[in-house]
Amino acid sequence: MRILAPKGLVCAGLAAWIAAVPANHSTSAAAAQVPAPSPVAANRATFERYCLTCHTTRQKERGVVPVALDTLDLSRIAADAAVWEKVVLKLRAGVMPPAGAPRPDKATHDGFASWLEGELDRSWTANPDPGRTEPFHRLNRVEYRNAVRDLLDLDLDVSALLPGDDVSYGFDNIAGVLKLSPTLMERYLSAAQKVSRLAVGTTPRTPSIDYYRVTDDLSQDVQLPGLPLGTRGGTRISYAFPMDAVYEIRPRLTRDLNESLPLYTEPQVLEISIDGQRIGTFTLPGIGAREGRGAPPPELDDPPSDPPATPPPSPGQAPARPAISQIVQTVRASAKERQSRNRADERWNLRVPVKAGQREVVITFLNRVSALDESARLPFQRPYPAGVNIPETRLGAYLRSVEIVGPIDATGPGQSDSRRRIFTCSTKDDVCARKILSTLARRAYRRPVTTADLEPLLSFYREGSSTFAGATADKKASFDEGIERALRRLLVSPEFLFRVERDPASTPTGRAYRVGDIDLASRLSFFLWSSIPDDTLLDLAERGQLSTPSVLSREVRRMLADPRADAFVTNFAGQWLFLRNLDAAVPVQSIFPDFDDGLRQSFRRETELFFDSIVREDRSAFDLLRADYTFLNERLAKHYGVPNVKGSYFRRVTLENGAARNGLLGQGAILTVTSYPDRTSPVVRGKWILENLLGTPPPPPLPNVPPLKPTNKEGAVLSMRQRMEQHRANPVCASCHAMMDPLGLSLENFDAVGKWRTLGESSAAIDAKGRAPDGTVFEGPTGLRDMLLRSDRFVPTLTEKMLTYALGRGLEYSDMPAVRAIVRDAAKNDYRVSSLIVGIANSAPFRMRKTG
Amino acid sequence: MFITQRHLSRRTVLRGMGAALALPLLDSMVPAGVALAQTAARPIRRLGFVYMPNGVARNFTGINYWTPVGEGANFELSQILTPLAPYRDRLTVISGLAQHQADAFDDGANGDHTRGTSSWLSGVHCKRTEGADVKNGTTVDQIAAAEIGKATALPSLELAIDLNFLAGQCENSYSCAYLNTLSWRSETAPMPTENNPRIVFERLFGDGGTSAERLTQARVNASIIDSVLDDLNRLSQSLGATDRVKVGEYVDSVREVERRIQRVEKGGGTSELPTLERPSGIPERFDEHVKLMYDLQWLAFRADLTRVTTFMLGRELNFRTYPEIGINEGHHGLSHHQDNPNQLAKYARLGTYQAELFAWFLEKLHSTPDGDGSLLDHSLFLYGAGLSNPNLHAHYDLPLAMVGGAAGRMKGGRHLVFPAETPMTNLLLTMLDKVGVQAEKLGDSTGKLPIEPLSGV
Repeated sequence: MRILAPKGLVCAGLAAWIAAVPANHSTSAAAAQVPAPSPVAANRATFERYCLTCHTTRQKERGVVPVALDTLDLSRIAADAAVWEKVVLKLRAGVMPPAGAPRPDKATHDGFASWLEGELDRSWTANPDPGRTEPFHRLNRVEYRNAVRDLLDLDLDVSALLPGDDVSYGFDNIAGVLKLSPTLMERYLSAAQKVSRLAVGTTPRTPSIDYYRVTDDLSQDVQLPGLPLGTRGGTRISYAFPMDAVYEIRPRLTRDLNESLPLYTEPQVLEISIDGQRIGTFTLPGIGAREGRGAPPPELDDPPSDPPATPPPSPGQAPARPAISQIVQTVRASAKERQSRNRADERWNLRVPVKAGQREVVITFLNRVSALDESARLPFQRPYPAGVNIPETRLGAYLRSVEIVGPIDATGPGQSDSRRRIFTCSTKDDVCARKILSTLARRAYRRPVTTADLEPLLSFYREGSSTFAGATADKKASFDEGIERALRRLLVSPEFLFRVERDPASTPTGRAYRVGDIDLASRLSFFLWSSIPDDTLLDLAERGQLSTPSVLSREVRRMLADPRADAFVTNFAGQWLFLRNLDAAVPVQSIFPDFDDGLRQSFRRETELFFDSIVREDRSAFDLLRADYTFLNERLAKHYGVPNVKGSYFRRVTLENGAARNGLLGQGAILTVTSYPDRTSPVVRGKWILENLLGTPPPPPLPNVPPLKPTNKEGAVLSMRQRMEQHRANPVCASCHAMMDPLGLSLENFDAVGKWRTLGESSAAIDAKGRAPDGTVFEGPTGLRDMLLRSDRFVPTLTEKMLTYALGRGLEYSDMPAVRAIVRDAAKNDYRVSSLIVGIANSAPFRMRKTG
Repeated sequence: MFITQRHLSRRTVLRGMGAALALPLLDSMVPAGVALAQTAARPIRRLGFVYMPNGVARNFTGINYWTPVGEGANFELSQILTPLAPYRDRLTVISGLAQHQADAFDDGANGDHTRGTSSWLSGVHCKRTEGADVKNGTTVDQIAAAEIGKATALPSLELAIDLNFLAGQCENSYSCAYLNTLSWRSETAPMPTENNPRIVFERLFGDGGTSAERLTQARVNASIIDSVLDDLNRLSQSLGATDRVKVGEYVDSVREVERRIQRVEKGGGTSELPTLERPSGIPERFDEHVKLMYDLQWLAFRADLTRVTTFMLGRELNFRTYPEIGINEGHHGLSHHQDNPNQLAKYARLGTYQAELFAWFLEKLHSTPDGDGSLLDHSLFLYGAGLSNPNLHAHYDLPLAMVGGAAGRMKGGRHLVFPAETPMTNLLLTMLDKVGVQAEKLGDSTGKLPIEPLSGV
């Protein structure tokens, strides 16, 4: 094969080290590891005996089988690689020959699969096809957010600025579907305006209003993770205050179903703090207060006077103790009073001067609820607001929403982290502007910048500063305005919004070439950080050192240890494991009355922390299935029945080795997103396992499926297993359900929200027998886990998903030899996660590209 | 971590967001004179499409909560359509049409929901792929937008209710792009939908400021766009021939934005928008969210900021529950009614609920004067679904209803039944005609439908 040096790219030393082989480790490894070829004849006998009984042209024409294999030539496997890769997948997943049909013994079966793989790999190694990533890869919404964060030290919730992205192949970073519509271009323009203004800290035309809503089904009767001890409920907002200015914080309380504020015996004290410093409180009086002790009740048309909070100190200054003023009402709650009381939080607007920068705003209730009350009055973990004939179950006032309005009366841009990041020189002249903009452009475009890159930016800088200079003579303000304008321009540059991969000049179509170090830096950073490369990566790339195997492997490990690698957990694992769907999971209240947002968020947190620990501790990928620990807080521990875990914070908890809860399949997040709102679904769970753990998605159901009867002829409720048996009775359904259902049924001891149970819907004891696609029978979650651990498909499936995510494209049959090479290499390191990730970073599809 | 997100999800049983999210100052938002500038001779016509996911409550063996009984002027509104009774004289229910291009052909059983959405307004069988080669057809709304949307700040608005980032919620081998929108600007360019009222609001009205300030911002954006086009040009020269074609697509999008800005600049300075309060986010309750999205469409029509809209009341295959009307099962699951009369009756409640919300919108349009009539008189809406009997994923005898006067070109009060298998695209072609857009062919259309205009006009 011919390797082409990427011409026209900036790395001078690049050509020097380019070896004549692709992804050197995998080639040599592949050659060493691929089993020696067996004689074609023996395999042909196996093939004819076990495959060609059904997979003939004749049977295909009759519609019995979807694929005919009798036209294939076993002496030229590579000629039909696409078909053979499918055959390999079916064999490795144990799906073929189907249950009931004659099967060869395991050695023959595996030997045939290995022989096919060997043939395919050998041919691929001789002429590797790295595939072709798209020339343009638009940053998705998450990547845009992270890029802005890493470029400008500004962490914004961009979901309010940009629309979400389409998913293909299970991920939302697939280049082919990340298109640019006019609507999106408009959004980028307006996002650039906002981001540049916030980063530089110039006065906006009007104060902005940011609205935060606390979900209604979050219990605020307890202290929430990440909020101070001695508090309950409320929320925490990480807010980028753009300037030194006054901001108004407007908390509002939830009502009940009749739009009333519930009455509480105790006063409800809401505390607002910024960066841990109390800046004010608001008090909703209790109705238990004795008559005459407080002020008279306000009239309906006379809302409470000014906010009861004292003018607070600015964070960063010495704290002054604020007075907590109280509006105490009388005991009687007449209709009129009630109406007036309902307006109690109407003017809870707290104005406070804040210095520019990213700060944590915490709005929470001081916990005045006695423990006795709590246990006595709390029927469910989930809060239920009062409605007609429904009593209130919430113990105290709940926070519904918070608005942050500002900046008001700005005194200047202040010294935010963003400004520190941007303004790397202080001379306020053109030389300084050039320095600032070249630094920003290098990071934003993820490559060395040229004069041609800088020219448009400088021109916007000049335009911005001169426009402003006309209005005032303030040199500093005019300089800032110029930088802001240039930044606004930079943030819509195609080379910021898109990762552009250029073919080497004048290269014929379809040739494989090495991706240059500069592009490699971006491939790595978007893979592991969902963001732009940092200076270390860019420096290495510019010096042409990044692709040196030892450097690359060191860099991958450094990147995984960096906090930015959280993105790999939330984006990769969040999509692979469907954690993102938790938000849309709404278990039916009447069946799961305890399920609330606190549990939902705990589920997500558990699995994220768990996945994160496997990555950061560099454990074996199999530990995802079998680890004897997890991360729990009190809420979750109670749900799982794990004793002695107190408090809202998550901690690592060791589980009994080999227990049903061990590994991903015992975690509430996964068990919930694979259930229906009202019951478990063995079908959905089985399908999820086939797709996401075994990489063999079943074909979709046919329309007009006959109904599954929940009861038998006599009207008795059927067990889930009996219901599923109905699938097997219909031959059309049976072909696929025979694979899905038995996998899902083995998890029946976990209900639709992942709680352990021994009785099913029919009140009969749960029968958790399961069966693997190859017919192996097992028992319950532990049996399922053992089956998956023995399977040939778990690590390859994880690798395929990861490679899809890393490349931002769907995998082709021609990528499978690379996947096998990665897995083979990782086997030598007990399938440690780092060996899979380094393997991907070293693989041909990641390091090379085909010209278009 | 309990860091509250600005983007809100929708589970809740609480009532009462309505007041907080209502749009204040509606009257003062409308630029003076816009709505009344038209004359009877040159009416402004608007075109809208409202899509119900997962078909309607009916089967093919006798239970049908959608199709009216009787034909022509003598028909009885079905249960689902009953909320539209006040606008019966503006309503034409269409039966018998099929969207053939939604059928599987050689693509296997998979994808009926996907193609139901993607072909609804295109009449084209989309390409089965998850890759860069997504391919459908230009949709009817975009054809209309290219004509009647020329003069407005936004040629069209694409709105939706559901989130689009869920994992594993699209049909195998089909990109989610096909499920997430009804609208395609070209055969390779889907138009992304927006479900956040605040973002829609800002697209329509900007983020506040005086008209002079907005004009200044438009000018800055125009010069940025100009400079970005230079970038793309430069970029293009550094690429091989194949990749250069792709840059062309981006150039088109950027140029379209350029044209929009020019329109804003042209119209800028004449109308004084007040400093506006924006909707704050996504309401948790379905009905409040839907009403707010209708509000925004009403506002956009009223201020003549756009004349073409598409709106998806949900995404096919969604599993939303509607506890407020007693539906605790996921939407898609319920739609597979399995011919069970109880389940069909329950599903019909959802259809009625959707129609009630639509009727709420029609009432707003009806009571808003526009030219010599009301906004409803000058609009034409198609309300319907890409599946009829959802249990069978059937793409024939689709539930479709047209509402609105199309400025004298539509008379209502009818139930028209066309021969089975008549392509739905014939109706779309007819609708284009009604709003004054000339087109001879759309997807698999075979001609216009004989839906005569109001006599005497």
